[in-house]
Amino acid sequence: MLARRADNLGLAALAVAAVCLVALGAGWFDGPLNALVLLVLLVVLGGVGVLAAFGGPEARRLLAPYGLMKPGLLWMALFFLAPVWSLVRISLSTKESRFSVQYNFTWAWDNYSRAFSDFGGQFQRAFLYSLIATLLTIVIGYPVAYVIAFRGGRFKNLLLGLVVIPFFTSYLIRTIAWSTILADQGPIVSLLNTFGLVNVFEWLHIMENGKLLNTPAAVIGGLTYNFLPFMLLPIYVSLEKIDPNLVNAANDLYSTPTAAFRKVVFPLSIPGVFAGTLLTFIPAAGDFVNAQFLGNPNTTMIGNSIQDQFLKQNNYPVASAMSTVLMVSITALVLLYTRFFGTEELA
Amino acid sequence: MNKPTNSGARRNPWTRREFLLRSGALGVAGASLPALLAACGGGGGGANALLFDNWPLYIDPTEDGLVGSVDRFMEASGVDMTYTESYNDNDEYFAKIQPLLGAGKRIDPDLIAPTFWMAGRLINLGWVDKLPLDKVANTSNLEDNYVKPPWDPTGEYSMPWQAGTAGIAYNIDVTGRELKSTADLFDPAFKGKIGMLTEMRDTMGLILMSQGVDITSISSFDQAAGAFEQLEKAKADGQIRAFTGNDYIDDLVSGNYAACVGWSGDVLQLGKDSPNIRFVVPEEGGTLWADVMVMPKGTENTDAVAKWLDFVYDPEQAAQITSYVQYFSPVKGVREEVAKIDPELAENPLVFPDAETASRLKSWANLSEDVDAQFADAFSSITGA
Amino acid sequence: MNSLRSRIGRMGLNVFAGLGLVYLFMPIFFIVLFSFNKPKGNYNIVWQEFTLDNWLDPFSQSSLTAALWVSLRISALATVISTIFGSLIALALSRRSFKGSSVINLLLVLPLTTPEIVLGSSLATLFLSQTFVDFGFITVVIAHVMFQVSFVALTVRARIRGFDWTLEQAAADLGAKPWRTFRYVTFPLILPGVLAAALLAFALSIDDFIITFFNAGSTVTFPLQIYGAARVRIPPQINVLASMVLFFSIALLVIGAVRGQRSEAVKAMKRSKNK
Repeated sequence: MLARRADNLGLAALAVAAVCLVALGAGWFDGPLNALVLLVLLVVLGGVGVLAAFGGPEARRLLAPYGLMKPGLLWMALFFLAPVWSLVRISLSTKESRFSVQYNFTWAWDNYSRAFSDFGGQFQRAFLYSLIATLLTIVIGYPVAYVIAFRGGRFKNLLLGLVVIPFFTSYLIRTIAWSTILADQGPIVSLLNTFGLVNVFEWLHIMENGKLLNTPAAVIGGLTYNFLPFMLLPIYVSLEKIDPNLVNAANDLYSTPTAAFRKVVFPLSIPGVFAGTLLTFIPAAGDFVNAQFLGNPNTTMIGNSIQDQFLKQNNYPVASAMSTVLMVSITALVLLYTRFFGTEELA
Repeated sequence: MNKPTNSGARRNPWTRREFLLRSGALGVAGASLPALLAACGGGGGGANALLFDNWPLYIDPTEDGLVGSVDRFMEASGVDMTYTESYNDNDEYFAKIQPLLGAGKRIDPDLIAPTFWMAGRLINLGWVDKLPLDKVANTSNLEDNYVKPPWDPTGEYSMPWQAGTAGIAYNIDVTGRELKSTADLFDPAFKGKIGMLTEMRDTMGLILMSQGVDITSISSFDQAAGAFEQLEKAKADGQIRAFTGNDYIDDLVSGNYAACVGWSGDVLQLGKDSPNIRFVVPEEGGTLWADVMVMPKGTENTDAVAKWLDFVYDPEQAAQITSYVQYFSPVKGVREEVAKIDPELAENPLVFPDAETASRLKSWANLSEDVDAQFADAFSSITGA
Repeated sequence: MNSLRSRIGRMGLNVFAGLGLVYLFMPIFFIVLFSFNKPKGNYNIVWQEFTLDNWLDPFSQSSLTAALWVSLRISALATVISTIFGSLIALALSRRSFKGSSVINLLLVLPLTTPEIVLGSSLATLFLSQTFVDFGFITVVIAHVMFQVSFVALTVRARIRGFDWTLEQAAADLGAKPWRTFRYVTFPLILPGVLAAALLAFALSIDDFIITFFNAGSTVTFPLQIYGAARVRIPPQINVLASMVLFFSIALLVIGAVRGQRSEAVKAMKRSKNK
């Protein structure tokens, strides 16, 4: 009887254990109650173990998936779910004093109003810059992926490797290298000066006062560069899957390559663009490295503020409020986006 | 920069976890693998070890055949010293040590060198121990103006490491003219080519002085409101390219900055190779600051700390440091010793201020806790992070 | 006329893709170039003169080498743990749908849709509020495992989706004990996917900056060392170490490509014989 219900029990045990770990990690209870939670956790895990040991092969078969997942999922419960919980809790707490490490949970919503009032600009820039960067990665990444997938021939893997290789160097080194390239007396600005293109670039608002480094364009450029493979690779994967005969057939039928692309290739590559968009936009929106090395005081993004409030100003409540807002708004955007465009699951 | 690699075991015995944690910390120290293994094996340096976490590029190094102060000290005293350079920013360092010291735990370094105001905060919070000054004969060499300073009224908790001034550093190739005044930083001709320091007291100090506010007696935020407005406006107008810490020198040398708020020794250290990089104490005044050595609470190696203080307060040794870092030395008699090594340096008013220069240098009043918080908030909202 | 236009279009697209590759390699070119620079003073930002000194002595920056070593140890440990955890999850998920699998799928995707800064800062708040572990080596490993597990689980699952599970059944029917079935049937089949996932996890871990930055305490990993150095001076040895990694990966790629070509050639020969 027990054995036939083993899957229910396995799932229940996993859920209870996860909740116990979140409770312990996020500090739901004080002192002795924690010992009780720990006891529950051990009893549940032990109970499932006993059932697996003595419940016969059917019980073992039903319990197996839960057993396999347990270490990883419990790790995530303790080190992902519990932290998110305590993040939200601290975002509603107040400090005992300026340099205290103690926080009192007081439903302090003013942390959120401070996050919006003082850092509204940073939120806007984070979303605007990462949106532009995401579009640029599509514009640059799609044609490259297309050429590799359809015209790469026997060099396909080599070309794909070339695309990935720059990203074997450290993220920070790459970003710092850009600051050398874009510097006022660096190669690009010198080149633009030689050809007298500075005015054109200023008119396009790419340059400001004759400089390229420490402008919004530099920050967006850095984001675009650093997250390009996250767009390019998923697009490549989806293009690669397309049967070339399909394209040939379309070419025969529609006669113009543009129409073939529009009606056959592009629709089939949408899942790649979709996955790439998420993989680019999400990390870009929370990034602070590009804005720090390539930006100026008027181009800071929300990541810079979170980092500053956490690691310099010791203002964990406001920093947590900003993190929470960022997390919630990105989740909402992702859900919305998935609703409209989502075809495949994420991975 | 080379660092001593023979950092053996510091405290014995270590638990496994302590070893894992500390081996990470030693990574900062640049300890080599054999040293880590040696540490693992034990073999007690005991109280005869010393870990000093200081600002980067702040001591005469051991390289190119030069013997640095740390090596000479280890040779002379037998203390097993580890010298690290991960003190990059006062606020950042404070945020890092706060969870530990605030919870009554120890931090690894036996000695750190926060800027005077941060030292004052640590002293007020009770997060530092009294220095073993009774074992330091050379305390008598402390320059008179650092005896019982405002940030450490009893003089028991801190000894200055180096002092210096924040003024205007500029690249004359970019500016095309000599700068003299803080007002030059707000010259529209340099739009987008001006740098400011994230060190609030240095950046705001210069602006306040240029507005005629006396920073030696400032006591409320209202007195500084005008200066914050000026900075806010300059930022909004795009006058300011970036707020940075030590890395401003990169931008100055590469020509990204025309001018910036900078520290005297940094510019002097660039030396004769970079004649286009200049430093000036503005007409309206420059800030005078000191980075001071304090012992985080719970340090056990007090004997080694005492030996180190004694060593660096020996004018002959201090002169070695000064002739490299080129900041103001808090040690009496250094000028005479420097004259033996580098007579020209001994006459440089930016290293040994003459009366005229000294009259333009001002140091900040001790801000009360609340006022300090207001200043910090206002400044961080401008730096935009 | 039409074909000329389309040929120009094709050419244009190829040129664009070529420019894309140039763009990708631009900073890389500078990183390699400046590894041969002889910097004046402390700052390796202005080209001075060519030197091989940095390459002849790549490990002279002891703090840099130590940081690299710390990073390697952290990433190795975290990758082993996360690969085991993640592969187990993938195995469980790939068999049959079972109760709660949709919730678990969601849980796996969440860390990917959460910005790194939120992951890092929230984990830091957890570590702050307890007294068992101080920030350092262990907290960094914990943090890395946390974000790696999802990547591993999803990568392995994608790779073994088409796996024919009846093979396992067959082995069992033939009397193989579960462990033997796993050892001789399941494991060899999932191994390529697991290895690919482990590589990805390692790559993510060794280059992680943001999450590590929040949870490292006084432990200094390679990216953190670079971050620290960037605020004072960037020794050319950083460029040397970065270039080394780069050349190593290019070498691997070229070897792979040559071998691939050779097997293509063999296949082509066989095809021509069959004709």
